[in-house]
Amino acid sequence: MKRIKRAINNFQRKEVGIKIILVTSASLSILAVFMIIAYIFRESLPAIRTVGFKGLFSFNWKPEPANPPAGSYGMLVPIIGTISATFWAILFGAPLAIGTAVYIDQMAPMAIRSVINRGIEILAGIPSVIIGWFGLTMLVPALRNVTATNGFGIMAAGVVLAVMSLPTITSISVDALRALPPELEEASLAMGATRWQTVSRALLPAARRGVLIAVILGIGRAVGETMAVQMVVGNANQVAWPWELFKPTSTLTSRIISDIGESTGVFRSVVYTEGLVLLIFAMVLILAIRMVSRERKR
Amino acid sequence: MTRLKRLKGIGILTGVLVLLLAIGLLAAGCGESDSKNGTTSEEGKSSGVSGKVTCSGSTTVLPIAEEAASMFMDENPDAEVEVQGGGSSTGISQVKEGVVDIGNASRDLKDEEDDGSIVDHKIALDIICIAVNPGVGVDNLTRDQVKGIFTGAITNWSEVGGADGQITVVIRDAASGTREIFDEKALEISDDNPVELTGSAMETNSNGIMRETVASTPNSIGYISFGYLDDTIKAVNYEGVTPTIETAKDGSYPLSRYLHMFTNGEPEGAVKGFIEFVMSDEFQNDVVGEDYIPITKL
Repeated sequence: MKRIKRAINNFQRKEVGIKIILVTSASLSILAVFMIIAYIFRESLPAIRTVGFKGLFSFNWKPEPANPPAGSYGMLVPIIGTISATFWAILFGAPLAIGTAVYIDQMAPMAIRSVINRGIEILAGIPSVIIGWFGLTMLVPALRNVTATNGFGIMAAGVVLAVMSLPTITSISVDALRALPPELEEASLAMGATRWQTVSRALLPAARRGVLIAVILGIGRAVGETMAVQMVVGNANQVAWPWELFKPTSTLTSRIISDIGESTGVFRSVVYTEGLVLLIFAMVLILAIRMVSRERKR
Repeated sequence: MTRLKRLKGIGILTGVLVLLLAIGLLAAGCGESDSKNGTTSEEGKSSGVSGKVTCSGSTTVLPIAEEAASMFMDENPDAEVEVQGGGSSTGISQVKEGVVDIGNASRDLKDEEDDGSIVDHKIALDIICIAVNPGVGVDNLTRDQVKGIFTGAITNWSEVGGADGQITVVIRDAASGTREIFDEKALEISDDNPVELTGSAMETNSNGIMRETVASTPNSIGYISFGYLDDTIKAVNYEGVTPTIETAKDGSYPLSRYLHMFTNGEPEGAVKGFIEFVMSDEFQNDVVGEDYIPITKL
């Protein structure tokens, strides 16, 4: 009896210990998130105060690091650059990724399926600087040859980002398709629908929320990507709308990486504000995912 | 299956960690022996220096001063060197007020700043060369042509005597000291004469990336520190003068400047030791020489 009691006690003690460890690690990550948000917000305050919203959301970019707070610090050029590059990344990447997902889930023979799966895993693991380098040495010269421009810009960034968001969108879309009840496919085929009709009329519509979440996560990947984009986007200080494909421009991330090294004072605070805008982008995307998945549950 | 995968993952992770650790140890070992060599060769010169040295000023000089400070403190454990930025003007005014021992500056002393007690220690020569892609058939540019190209008034090489080709302008980031001197001396930008650079100018944030970009982008033009010139890019004459150490020294090539450390009166004690260390062959060749022309080579 005593021994059993002791054993139970031991178990409970162990249980409590593990619980404490788990709770600590969970709260640490929450704490980290809050600290990052609070820190970025605090560091952005001087810029918001001295430059003001009107100054920050303008096209005027002329930092004067030598004599702050002089100079203008409009962030619209990189904000629009980020949106333009992401737009094309998803336009190129999403159909490709969803197509790959359908092929993997529906048509690929076992052997090919695992080859493609491994390939996508490797693609996801390639460091972004290498993809950027590839873009710089292969893609940009290629674009230069077919256009009358120097090749840098939204088009190059869009293609590079499409490659980088491909694994995210593909693997989550595959999961979404795989989560569908098998009866759906069987019923559709039994009704005499062709493979393509089954995919386009039954499976994709049924999995559309999961696919939508995949695309949103892909957008998140594209918005936050830094190194590869900085290498091919041109880092010029002019606005490039989504239809201005071959105009060198900047994105939020490329601006941050360019300026973070040596900026001081208000200039530095503006760099943090650019980070804050990125953070807000991320939050909006997470909110969008929550909304999509909540709808799904209903 | 997943557990197996996870196990495999852990195995790989451990392998990578071990590898990293090994590399880290190896690197640490090398570093140690390096610094040991440094100490023995330097011991005769600066052994037994103790005391505190403070300096502030130019952000261009900052990386050199920081490197010098950490190397100097390694060799003289009793000495303490504090380095701050703030800009050339701040450094000069603080050394005059006695707030710091050394004022770092990337420009000459202005007449109104010279009260007779300031002693100038030139620590490096910085020469900015105008560099073009080797395919550009232009060998000389006048002051007005350079201004026209960088402000966007001239957009085609045919306008300055070259073959037909859209000019790609490459510049440095806003906080760059190289850009500071180029803007000031070549474009003559000042508070009274604010000049807008062409919006399509692509920003690069180091001499190395500038060289890569100009070398790999046809019809491009940029500017670069003399030490980074090689045969992948072509330095053009400015106003008919070839950039060399000689032409920069005699002032006929105008796009150059000295980097200075100013002291209030002749330096003594630890300050003297620190400046002597900065001027030493070893530091000049190993650290200063990476970005600038060592003062010992003039």
